[in-house]
Amino acid sequence: MKKKQVYPNLNNRKSRPDQLLSSSGRVIVLLSMFLLCNLMAYAQSYEVKGVVTDTNGEPLIGVSVFEQVNPITGVTTDVNGFYKILVGDENAKITFSYIGFSTKIVEVAGQKIIDITLIEETTGLDEVVVVGYGTQKKVNVTGSVSAVSSDKIEERPVQNMSQALQGIVPGLNLVSSGGGELDNPLRVNIRGTGTIGDDSNSGPLVLIDGMEGDMNSINPQDVESISVLKDAASSAIYGSRAPFGVILITTKQGKEGRMKINYNNSFRWSSPLLKPNMLDSYKFAMYWNDASINAGQNPPFSDEVIGRIQAYQNGEISNETVPSKWGNWWESYTGSHANTDWFKEHYKSWSPSQEHALSITGGSNKVQYYLSANYLGQNGLLRHADDTYDRYTLTATITAKLAEIVNIRYNTKFIRSEYETATHQNSLLFHNIARRWPTNPVRDPNGYYADGAEIIQLREGGRESSEKDNLYQQFKLDIEPVKGLKFISELNYRTKTKFNGGHTLPAYAHGVDGNPYAVAVGWNSAGSTSAWEYASKSTYFSPNLYTQFTKSFDEQHNLTALVGFQSEEYNTRDIGASRRDLITPDLPTIETATGVDKISDGGYAHWATTGFFGRVNYNFKEKYLIELNARYDGTSRFLKEKRWNWFPSVSVGWNLAREGFWQPLEDKVNTFKVRASWGELGNQNTDNWYPFYNTMPIRIAKGKWLINGKRPNKVSSPDLVSSLLTWETVRSWNIGLDAGMFNNRLTLVFDYFNRYTEGMVGPAPELPNILGTDVPRINNADMKSYGFELEVSWRDKIGQVSYGVRGVLADDQQEVVKYPNEAGLIDDGIWYRGQKLGEIWGLTTKGIAKSDQEMADWLVKQDQSLVGSNWAAGDIMYKDLNGDGVIDWGSNVVGDTGDNSIIGNSTPRYKFSLDLDVAWKGLDFRMLWQGVAKRDYALGGPYFWGANDNMWQSAGFEEHMDYFRPEGHKLGANLNGYYPRPIMSWEAKKNTQTQTRYLQNAAYIRLKNVQLGYTIPQEFTKRYGIQKLRFYVSGENLLTFTKMTKTFDPETIDGGWSDGKIYPLSKTISGGVSLTF
Amino acid sequence: MKNNNINVVIYAIGILFIGTLCGCNDFLDREPLDEVTPDVYLNTDVQLADYAITLYDFPTHSGWGNGTFNIDNHTDNQATSEYSKRYIPGTWRVDQDDDDDWNFEDIRECNYFLEQVLPKWKNGVISGNANDINQYIGEVYFLRAYQYFNKVKIFGDFPIVRSTLPDQKEDLVEASKRRPRNEVARFIIADVDSAIMLMNNAPIGGTNRLTKMSAQLFKSRVALHEATWLKYHKGTARVPGGPGWPGNDVDYLKDFKIEIDAEIDYFLNEAIIASKEVIDEINLVENSGEYGGLDVFDNPYYSMFASNDMSNYNEVLFWRSFDIDENIYHHNQHYLQNNGGNTGFTKGFVESFLMDNGLPIYASGSGYQGDATVNEVKVSRDGRLRLFMKAPGEQITEERTEQFPDILAIPEVKYVTGYAVKKGVNPDDSQGGTGGSYTGSIVFRAVEAYLNYIEASYELNGSLDATAIKCWKAIRERAGVETDFNFTIAATDMSIESLGDWGTYSAGSLIDPTLYNIRRERRCELMAEGLRFMDLKRWRSLDQLNNYQIEGFNLWGGDMEDWYVSGNTGESKLIPEGTSGKQPNVSNPSNSNYLRPYQIIKDNNLAYEGYNWHKAHYLSPIAYEHFLLTSDGDPTSSVIYQNPNWPVQANGQPID
Repeated sequence: MKKKQVYPNLNNRKSRPDQLLSSSGRVIVLLSMFLLCNLMAYAQSYEVKGVVTDTNGEPLIGVSVFEQVNPITGVTTDVNGFYKILVGDENAKITFSYIGFSTKIVEVAGQKIIDITLIEETTGLDEVVVVGYGTQKKVNVTGSVSAVSSDKIEERPVQNMSQALQGIVPGLNLVSSGGGELDNPLRVNIRGTGTIGDDSNSGPLVLIDGMEGDMNSINPQDVESISVLKDAASSAIYGSRAPFGVILITTKQGKEGRMKINYNNSFRWSSPLLKPNMLDSYKFAMYWNDASINAGQNPPFSDEVIGRIQAYQNGEISNETVPSKWGNWWESYTGSHANTDWFKEHYKSWSPSQEHALSITGGSNKVQYYLSANYLGQNGLLRHADDTYDRYTLTATITAKLAEIVNIRYNTKFIRSEYETATHQNSLLFHNIARRWPTNPVRDPNGYYADGAEIIQLREGGRESSEKDNLYQQFKLDIEPVKGLKFISELNYRTKTKFNGGHTLPAYAHGVDGNPYAVAVGWNSAGSTSAWEYASKSTYFSPNLYTQFTKSFDEQHNLTALVGFQSEEYNTRDIGASRRDLITPDLPTIETATGVDKISDGGYAHWATTGFFGRVNYNFKEKYLIELNARYDGTSRFLKEKRWNWFPSVSVGWNLAREGFWQPLEDKVNTFKVRASWGELGNQNTDNWYPFYNTMPIRIAKGKWLINGKRPNKVSSPDLVSSLLTWETVRSWNIGLDAGMFNNRLTLVFDYFNRYTEGMVGPAPELPNILGTDVPRINNADMKSYGFELEVSWRDKIGQVSYGVRGVLADDQQEVVKYPNEAGLIDDGIWYRGQKLGEIWGLTTKGIAKSDQEMADWLVKQDQSLVGSNWAAGDIMYKDLNGDGVIDWGSNVVGDTGDNSIIGNSTPRYKFSLDLDVAWKGLDFRMLWQGVAKRDYALGGPYFWGANDNMWQSAGFEEHMDYFRPEGHKLGANLNGYYPRPIMSWEAKKNTQTQTRYLQNAAYIRLKNVQLGYTIPQEFTKRYGIQKLRFYVSGENLLTFTKMTKTFDPETIDGGWSDGKIYPLSKTISGGVSLTF
Repeated sequence: MKNNNINVVIYAIGILFIGTLCGCNDFLDREPLDEVTPDVYLNTDVQLADYAITLYDFPTHSGWGNGTFNIDNHTDNQATSEYSKRYIPGTWRVDQDDDDDWNFEDIRECNYFLEQVLPKWKNGVISGNANDINQYIGEVYFLRAYQYFNKVKIFGDFPIVRSTLPDQKEDLVEASKRRPRNEVARFIIADVDSAIMLMNNAPIGGTNRLTKMSAQLFKSRVALHEATWLKYHKGTARVPGGPGWPGNDVDYLKDFKIEIDAEIDYFLNEAIIASKEVIDEINLVENSGEYGGLDVFDNPYYSMFASNDMSNYNEVLFWRSFDIDENIYHHNQHYLQNNGGNTGFTKGFVESFLMDNGLPIYASGSGYQGDATVNEVKVSRDGRLRLFMKAPGEQITEERTEQFPDILAIPEVKYVTGYAVKKGVNPDDSQGGTGGSYTGSIVFRAVEAYLNYIEASYELNGSLDATAIKCWKAIRERAGVETDFNFTIAATDMSIESLGDWGTYSAGSLIDPTLYNIRRERRCELMAEGLRFMDLKRWRSLDQLNNYQIEGFNLWGGDMEDWYVSGNTGESKLIPEGTSGKQPNVSNPSNSNYLRPYQIIKDNNLAYEGYNWHKAHYLSPIAYEHFLLTSDGDPTSSVIYQNPNWPVQANGQPID
């Protein structure tokens, strides 16, 4: 039996002899033998003591101190950093280990007092990053992988991981989808849009401790690190599930050492980030009348009503409305005279939330544990809907060394989230808030909430809630029978259950006589009551079996090989039911409703995948690196013949800094690695789980033509499915550079990539309409994405001040390479070859005509009759780009677009973030800026255009008043107004064409987070046994700079019923404490 | 290290074993678990019924507004606040793309059904009641015919597709070739004949479902439409074979022949036969003679249009029912009961109603009271005007009476002409709020067969046969008008009638008084029922429009000006167009004593000078994109030809 040395690199803490290996081949035997081993007493007689400090001389509390051969009898340092330990003899080796610091092993060599200084672990190229099925030294990574540690997301007053990660990882795009509803997660992609079309998606694969999961459902505080695999070479090991990258989230594990308890909390106050400024009722009435007059219509506000509006604003009358001519209802809209700001009415100024988190970690070198519990209680911004989100999480991870060669890990995560709001809160509400007129009162003269304010519906119309339970269970067994050879089995099982339920209660407005009458809640009929429940459950089971072999030859050739098998099975089932007519509003359940039973859902669905994978890494002296990956993957989503595919990839790297010729530079540039990768993947992420099956679209009781008083079933012919259909392939190459300079204080990572998505099942080609159904989709389109990522960070210490700067810049663009649109037609939902995604076509604006004469003169030279008629002062003059004397769009095909041209692009470009942190003694400060440097946006809808087209769909905000008014206009001339004259009819279209004048610069920079913390010096806290006590304040979204019109939030422009009609994002200020025992 | 090797082997075998076990294709064979595949569907009567009903798409009440009672807007009968582009030549353009009209989705749905079901039906493998199975197959024939009739009305010539087509461009281009409109009409009639053969008059669901009788009525409508179109548009490019007909220039129609007069006679005969089937079966619902107070709500002729359940009115052949609890409802009572609903009858329409003694209002001794107020207009008039037009003071619902017409209201609820629609007003006040209403919506009414018969037989023979006379008398009797129509004909002055009725003209000339009175009967009986514009087009009654002014009630020349005096200030709320410094809200009396809804605003108002017509407007233009998609890039080489006087150009205006 020869003594082995400590394992190289990877894990220098877990060195142990392997003398027991050869005595048995069976796990059971090993296990029992090992247990016996542990029970054997061990002679300890030699005492060593000392103090452990950090580099600043501050004592470190809770450092694990143990003798290497007998970890179980270790001790920890006390509040003074003092330890005292008995070891075997004067030749023993003592290990000092502490989270966040490099572990030190010291030979006693006869000393009695050993004072130790532990050095903080530096993050840099030496760190180990998590990659697919394993870890790799960052310096040896040849693919494009970004790693982020938990400190980048700590103590942010955010709800979930995606909010915390926004802007942090170059190439990982997290953008708002719609608004800031408490249950609305961000949309995520890696390196931009990967596919165009509806029936496949290009979201990344999210793996939590190796199991597919929902990034937003876990507690961000449990996260240890995040790796983002961006290129095909890094993600190829995951095959067809990961063509557009992988997000690997590793949660915290138990660490050996003294038990540590951490408690932290945060109390938050959120306010709406942006509320448009509504016009006061007088200006609003003037604006509305003006727009109607311009349309050749009667003004909606009569002089009489305007008189009342003024009188009310002057305080001459106190009622906000009058009875209607029938005498039964209160007037609203054109007949009332209140002065309401509906945004102020519907949104709270401040809304409180709180979070509490507790974690316990510790363990011996045999068994480690991590337990955590977290509660997040969020309140929404809506004043009357009272929307709330609560999340409870419980996590436990236990790792144990069953035998010298056998390790197991069991991990369970339980997450419950509850979202509750008013039944009436749906996207229509945000549409309605904007078109609610300021003349409408909040309360009627009798003091009841008025009809048409939607407050009654929100307050009285019932509640709905959604309750989601996620239970993750993971069991991992790894056996290392010989050093360098590991067999790993993982069983992953997840269940998700979701219950959505709710009820509708009658909501009553009141007539002039004070008698109640019912108003409609949501989409329900007035006065109706109902209760509904929807439940779904899904189970996910995935076994992973793989074997890894690591070997170094002659300390030069380093080889790692991996082969494995993975399978996934996903099953889901659901049921939904409802009944109308509650017996009493106090018991809003299906059980206590008397209406007809309605079953809305009740089905099953499933999919499965199977894959075999392999990887070989080889490097020569960590100088020349190569990695080969292959996966053979099958999926249930395609028919037998098209089900299986090979996905190969290769990546290479060259670390120039290890070459001899680099020596002169070495003190300045310690790492300089160039790398390149290529890989090919297939995309099985189809929205339809059975894209090849012809099915009859049958919707039970959804027919619109009542027969015998009941809705019949709705059924139509099956969609066409092409026999040529197969899956899309994603091929990408990537070149990169990793550099570390000035002793790794300055690090730089750069990547340039090209990603081709080929054979996309994109939008179908156009065929003559006579086909009479949707053209079946085929693999007919190719696109490419290309761009770069740059990450530069600087970390240093000047005296007592340590500081860091980290800048991130990423860009991606997409271009359609092939598309079946030979004619080059330009239209929504259709593409042409060479088109860049996000292209905005529009007319070029000359300006607004300041007089009828100016317009008449303009029209002599360019005929604008194809755009509209009745041109006058205040209308738009368009430029005749092609000089044919007519403003038109040509035939709207590429090459003949008339005066239409590409005026901008809505793809966000140059996404960046800047992260600054400074610490001085106990004080720490951090500031995170995030933004987009280039983006155009052609805004539409009433939030932008104000009063146009149809007065029920228009909005009146302060910004809209900057519209053209000629000399002598009763609201005052505004010859240089931004907007054209408003026109309340379809004629408005002539001025609201997509055009250069109204193209918005949607670039922005936002102060995502700013934090200030103070850690009470240990000398004050240690007497209470407190290791660390930190107070902090943190602010989210505090500042935004953008050139966009003020009505819009640059992060949410494209959501909602139409541009801008969204639940606003929030600005949050929080404060809290973090306490570690 | 022997044992280690064994380990490796055990594990390798293990991985291989599990791998093969799970990796086999059975594990990955996963069919949909809760979706129906086509091979197991359309096999029972109930499935056929569901498929057919999904295709029901008829104009019925929906959403906010007066529902079907506003379809006649933009005609000489009824006006809404905004003018229509179709009367302002130059503003109606060729669309770049339009998938609403040149659309074959419902036609394909029908073809899919017939392809799947007919073979199974012939083999007798469809389970269920044979009568019902026949009924549903018949319905789909009917529905295909109905779709095609919509296409003929919009476009005229149209491709005939009898089967589902493959997604191959060559096949689709070939199928896109337009067929002459008379062929399309014959195809429709053949489908309706199949429907008539298969359907019955008492299907499950009663008159909420299509019936044999509905099919017969519809057939008469189609046949009469085509016959009169061919007759009055004869000699224009809008008739197959006519001069300038675009089909003359396409190769695939070079063998097309038409005997146009024989074709007209064929369609008239079909109309006569089909309508007779309905006439023989259905008597008109009675007019009980109650015209006012709460009693009017018990008058079956009044309540037929306003009931929640219309199944008791045998004259209603086909209707749609609504139910708020089923989330199928509309809001038309909110308008009909409470306001003008952004519509109004025109002066011309109101004046074309006869006196109850059978005389036109201008005839001497007619007894006409004049139009100083809306109430006087209605005295001793045709019962239909009395029943179906609002006047102040009349009982409008169980709890309320009608107020003065609010001609100053915002467009949505405006009394546009002062003469407001009362057809379909349900007396139940609870339907008038914002919570929705659920009165039924009539699709087919048997009286149309009466009218079709009278018109078709007169167009065919130049005289009225016994059935026609019987029908006409029945209609007039029910309307409360002297039944001797010859008395009316004798008193008719076409030059006076032509001022208020575009239907006095065909092809730019006045028609004979008998035919005119037949058209008048149709106009008055089908008041606010949505067929007027179809009639005006098939009669070619729009050529003569020249700065035609739509007018409403006698605002300035009678007593009604006083209705708009403010109770507080004693000042008139009316501000005539042209009042300096003020925003006008009514037209100027110097132009006319009658309210002119399109002369209230002068600036930016393209309709100020009145309505005009372009001959291109009889048919809609086909959108540019369809030429492009059926060509190899040069839209003018498409197999589709554009309708007469429209260009193949996006945004193009009518030519000459």
